[in-house]
Amino acid sequence: MSAKRSSINRPPTPDVDRDRENQEPTLQEIINIKMIESGEKERLKELLRERLIECGWRDEMKSLCRAYTRKKGRNNVTVDDLVHVITPKGRASVPDPVKAELLQRIRSFLASTAT
Amino acid sequence: MYTNPKPCKHLADYKLRHGLSGYNLLQEQIRTTPSGKSSVKNHQTEIPRCCFCNGYQKRLYLCLICSSISCSSHTLLHSQCENGHDIAVDIERSELYCVLCCDQVYDPDFDKIVMLKHLMDLPRSGNGVDVSAGRRSSKRRRLCSALELDLKKTKQLVSMRDLRAKSCYPLGLRGLNNLGSTCFMNSVLQALLHAPPFRNYFLTGQRNHEVCRKRSSDRLCLLCDIYVFFSAVFSGDRTPYSPAQLLYSWWQHSANLASYEQQDAHEFFISVLDGIHENGVKARNTGECHCVAHRVFSGQLRSDVTCMSCGYTSTTYDPFMDISLNLDTGNCPSTDLANKSLKPSDNTYVSTLLGCLDLFTKPEKLGSDQKFFCENCQERQDSVKQMSIKRLPLVLCLHIKRFEHFPVRRMSRKIDRYMQFPFCLDMNPYLSSSVVRNRFGNRMFAFEGDELDTSTEFEIFAVVTHSGTLDSGHYVTYLHLKDQWYKCDDAWITAVEEEVVRASQCYMLFYAQKMLYYKANEDLVCQPVSPRADPFLPIAGCC
Repeated sequence: MSAKRSSINRPPTPDVDRDRENQEPTLQEIINIKMIESGEKERLKELLRERLIECGWRDEMKSLCRAYTRKKGRNNVTVDDLVHVITPKGRASVPDPVKAELLQRIRSFLASTAT
Repeated sequence: MYTNPKPCKHLADYKLRHGLSGYNLLQEQIRTTPSGKSSVKNHQTEIPRCCFCNGYQKRLYLCLICSSISCSSHTLLHSQCENGHDIAVDIERSELYCVLCCDQVYDPDFDKIVMLKHLMDLPRSGNGVDVSAGRRSSKRRRLCSALELDLKKTKQLVSMRDLRAKSCYPLGLRGLNNLGSTCFMNSVLQALLHAPPFRNYFLTGQRNHEVCRKRSSDRLCLLCDIYVFFSAVFSGDRTPYSPAQLLYSWWQHSANLASYEQQDAHEFFISVLDGIHENGVKARNTGECHCVAHRVFSGQLRSDVTCMSCGYTSTTYDPFMDISLNLDTGNCPSTDLANKSLKPSDNTYVSTLLGCLDLFTKPEKLGSDQKFFCENCQERQDSVKQMSIKRLPLVLCLHIKRFEHFPVRRMSRKIDRYMQFPFCLDMNPYLSSSVVRNRFGNRMFAFEGDELDTSTEFEIFAVVTHSGTLDSGHYVTYLHLKDQWYKCDDAWITAVEEEVVRASQCYMLFYAQKMLYYKANEDLVCQPVSPRADPFLPIAGCC
């Protein structure tokens, strides 16, 4: 019956779906942690960067960004906009050989660290 | 040049309240790589996760005030929970981000902190980045030298206005007779005739051939012959001229090329400039040469070789009189045949001059057989080489390599591929300052050689084109004078539309610094048609 105090003008802290401490790390997370710790993730990122530059993917994305920025006007575009617009196109246009090479590298990494 | 973007209100507020303290604390956590990238890492961020959703797969941002990490979906939430926590840094990229503007923001103070970290981490004396702002004096000397070649003096030469003439053509337009497969020479001479500072030098009497020591002792002097040639072409006489004396003089200098066989225009160009240099006043041993060839055409290239292990960069500078470019074909250089390029096949990709220049300044991985001995690592390492232009000349000659050599089959082939080229060219992206800046993420930082007062804009004034095969072909030059294009085909000169020029197969492109080009055109007073002959029906030459 007592009125709720609205002394704090801020939204309530979000509910966390699951209790963090009890959550079992997923396989994906375990792999991710292992890759970061061993430095493999950084190496793979460098390799991916190199391949995507070589095959012209990065230039392609650059020109897509430029075209979008020209259309909207330079002052009406944020980095977030660009990321949202480019991400699906970028993911879709990664050449298959590049994907294959990265997957192969990840596979061999997993094989070498199999417990 | 660019201007620094204005900070958003939130960044400005942050700076007022916290100054540089946040940046300075962050500096210790920045990790740099030899390739020029930087990211934020400390024990907390080793496996960075969003404090709201525990996610690790999106872009992650570190709050500059409380160092809490949020993913791109939750940065706003963090800002709502904590008042004033509006500025964050992208962990992966070391870039500032304003949560409320949802956009990247820029602060020279921040970029300075990042660059200083790079400089601290890279091996000293060998990082490719020099912050010193020296070399002002040589710049001034060069500018004065350019002014000497100013067109003001040429105004005195301009005269002879025939009031009866109805039509008029620019001064200095005169056909050149072919003396036996000499179109390679005629085409280059037409371009030289209209290179603004080069032309001014000869027309303003700076070449005083009367006191030339060589001529007085009856020896051949290439410079005098060029002077005579210029006088003849700019005399107002429209009948085609035979540059026989000049040809003979050049043969004396380049005995190996003395024949009636078809020669390469580019080779002739280099040879003539070399002849001018040799014949000219002996310059001092150190410093820049002051012969007209160097003053007009010489620039400086920078070559950086970077060790991929430690980032140590070895930088060398070399002068150039022209730049030879490989055609960009859109093929990816990857040796792995399976790696297909995103770009469509050869049939639809159009080569452009900018594409060729991009290719020229692109970082190139040196093969494993070319491992570079790194001074810092004290062993041979895989490395990357990158070219850039340290200093632009007054007149830029770009040579397109239109030949392929097959050493195994011992044959050469001409590449006929069309290349698109612009009439206005901004060389800024290919300067060393731009290229080096790009290596470190385009940070707002005073890199060496940021020459803010020299122009990088060029206007085209001549195009030497080639048609035919390597062994038998024909050179034609297009000249751009006073907004009109002229085709110079040996003795025949005709006005043409710019579409014709754009569609031509260019071999050598001549660009002049914009200011010089416009001044030169102002003073090209029309010369009335000589009553003796119609310039469009020249006396038949022996072509």
